[in-house]
Amino acid sequence: MRIPIVRRVVGGTVAAVAAASAAVLMAQAPKPSLNLNDTDSAIKAAADAAKREAAVKDYTSPKTAWGDPDLRGVYLTATYTPLQRPPELKDKPLYTEEEAVAAFKRAVEADAEVDPRTVHYDWKEYSMDAWQGGARPSLRTSLVVDPPDGRLPALTPEAQQRREMAAAAAKKRNPAAGIQTFGNTYTRCVLGLGIAPLMRGGNPGSESAAAAAGVTAEVQIFQSPGFVTLVHQSNNDVRIIPLDGRPHLPQQIRHWYGDSRGRWEGNTLVVETINWKDRAPGVGFQGSTDALTLVERFTRIAPNTMRYEYTMTDPKTWTRPWSVDSEMPKVEPNLIYEFACHEQNYGVINVVRGTQIREREALAAGRPAGGRPGGGGE
Amino acid sequence: MNIRSQGILLVAVLVVVGALWVGLPGQGSAPEVARTEDGRPNLNGIWQALAFSANWNIEPHSAEAGPRPEIMGAYGAQPGGQGIVEGGAIPYKPEALAKREANFKNRMTPKITNDPSRFDYGDPELQCFRPGVPRANYMPFPFQIFQDQNQMLFVYEYKWAMRQIHIDPQMEAPVDSWMGWSNGKWDGDTLVVDVTGFNGYSWFDRAGNYATSALHVVERWTPQGPNHMLYEATIEDANVFTRPWKISFPVYRRIEPNVQLIEFNCVPFVEQLMYDPLGLYFPPGTRPDGE
Repeated sequence: MRIPIVRRVVGGTVAAVAAASAAVLMAQAPKPSLNLNDTDSAIKAAADAAKREAAVKDYTSPKTAWGDPDLRGVYLTATYTPLQRPPELKDKPLYTEEEAVAAFKRAVEADAEVDPRTVHYDWKEYSMDAWQGGARPSLRTSLVVDPPDGRLPALTPEAQQRREMAAAAAKKRNPAAGIQTFGNTYTRCVLGLGIAPLMRGGNPGSESAAAAAGVTAEVQIFQSPGFVTLVHQSNNDVRIIPLDGRPHLPQQIRHWYGDSRGRWEGNTLVVETINWKDRAPGVGFQGSTDALTLVERFTRIAPNTMRYEYTMTDPKTWTRPWSVDSEMPKVEPNLIYEFACHEQNYGVINVVRGTQIREREALAAGRPAGGRPGGGGE
Repeated sequence: MNIRSQGILLVAVLVVVGALWVGLPGQGSAPEVARTEDGRPNLNGIWQALAFSANWNIEPHSAEAGPRPEIMGAYGAQPGGQGIVEGGAIPYKPEALAKREANFKNRMTPKITNDPSRFDYGDPELQCFRPGVPRANYMPFPFQIFQDQNQMLFVYEYKWAMRQIHIDPQMEAPVDSWMGWSNGKWDGDTLVVDVTGFNGYSWFDRAGNYATSALHVVERWTPQGPNHMLYEATIEDANVFTRPWKISFPVYRRIEPNVQLIEFNCVPFVEQLMYDPLGLYFPPGTRPDGE
């Protein structure tokens, strides 16, 4: 169970999240007013913020006391820009400013619209919709900028086969319908949402993992001499990035968060992450495997904006690398709350138990398998 | 930890023990301590306590067979230890002592339900729950300190549990939590961390020593040289203790080249333990052993 704590956003109202406790609590004084329904004001504030930040040219980030570019702060990883370009925008990589605001407005209004018959949580009630958390309009029609059509490249034959086998397994009733079948890394509290890469593309209307990415979508960039550390609100996942040029871990050592090494290229932090843990029978983001090389680039391009680019290279999954170019707004306050997910994960108990009951009912009635319940995750 | 790194750690410890011998009590100025740009002791690095038999019992204790000796043998045995509690005994109120004994008896029998009362059963460590403070500091895992001027970050290898130390601005705990809410300040070369806002579910050790949500911990981290610190903590909880009491032990820097924390995401390791009794891990009729 995730319970929100109110978070203020630079230049606006708004909200975010903490974790796993019993009551809705206000974190900060002065107490901000909750914006549950006023989408118009939020859209205007977001458009103004986007315009203001975009007007900043040739920005050079300040330096830390030890001389590194200063990237410190909490950034929002939620966005309404989809990962892949919608087919109807095939030859249009960029919106005009007016089109961008109009697309943002449509997305916000759809997000704020909740049908209680189809959702378990109305995130808006917790001020956890992306528009309440500081998301901004973007000129880009997709996060993916390479391939130039804004779409993911073709899968390798190996990956196609993997996907077909997974689809076939999902249709077949699995008698071992336990937590590892019906849970995923997120519902099992093994991993939070959006650990690496950080920006995954927008809700609504996308598949569940991305839809949920608007929730607890804050990451703190913590800097200290020789290190950049990413502290995630979601599941309190932490990625430690040494900057001292040391070699990667031996390949026998595998991490859920991978093994990251960083370096500065001018004012840009470049992070390479390998040594991913094999998540079979699950997979990583967009079906990636333990062979993934993730290269991320962080550049502070305005006082409250982080440009975030990444390239995914996984020869077991895609026929060529693909890249994203995106922006993360800075939000306040500069801290992360405890997210004790596994410590009271009654959600997974209820989900798995409920699914087992449904499966038995379906079996008795001779109906086909019902598929997998979700709640997000890779 | 492989044999090589154990060897290096041992060398580090011997060096440090030598330094302790010469240097104690070493309060106040420690000229060889590295410093940050603002003149504070530079605590950045990976640290580890060797008092980790305290994770079995923070009071003095003999070596004993561990839980399930019929399968765990010497793997699971409890090493002896002289304890880290000043004076040797925690000043429990009588009724609280009875709860400690019950905790010990039930340490291996977590009762997992979809009800919040589940926390009353079993050692949180067994279930891969966050260890709380001070326990995180003497578990048999290293931890890394990231030091910035206004905020510090502690990441513990066990469960990747983290805590932020708020120096400026300081804040009241916004919500109760496992790791508590830490506000820090410098007292000379000592980092003093005031920790409150606990949820009352964490234990001090596998022996069932515990506190409630009224727990208040004041930690003092004092460099004794470049590669070791004295850790002291004053522990108060009027619900269970008759008076404040103190623990202390040294914390050593891990000096192996390229040493880093190695993920210990223990959630997958405890799913069978926690969810099998509910039929959620091996549903009825699906156990590999045919049961």
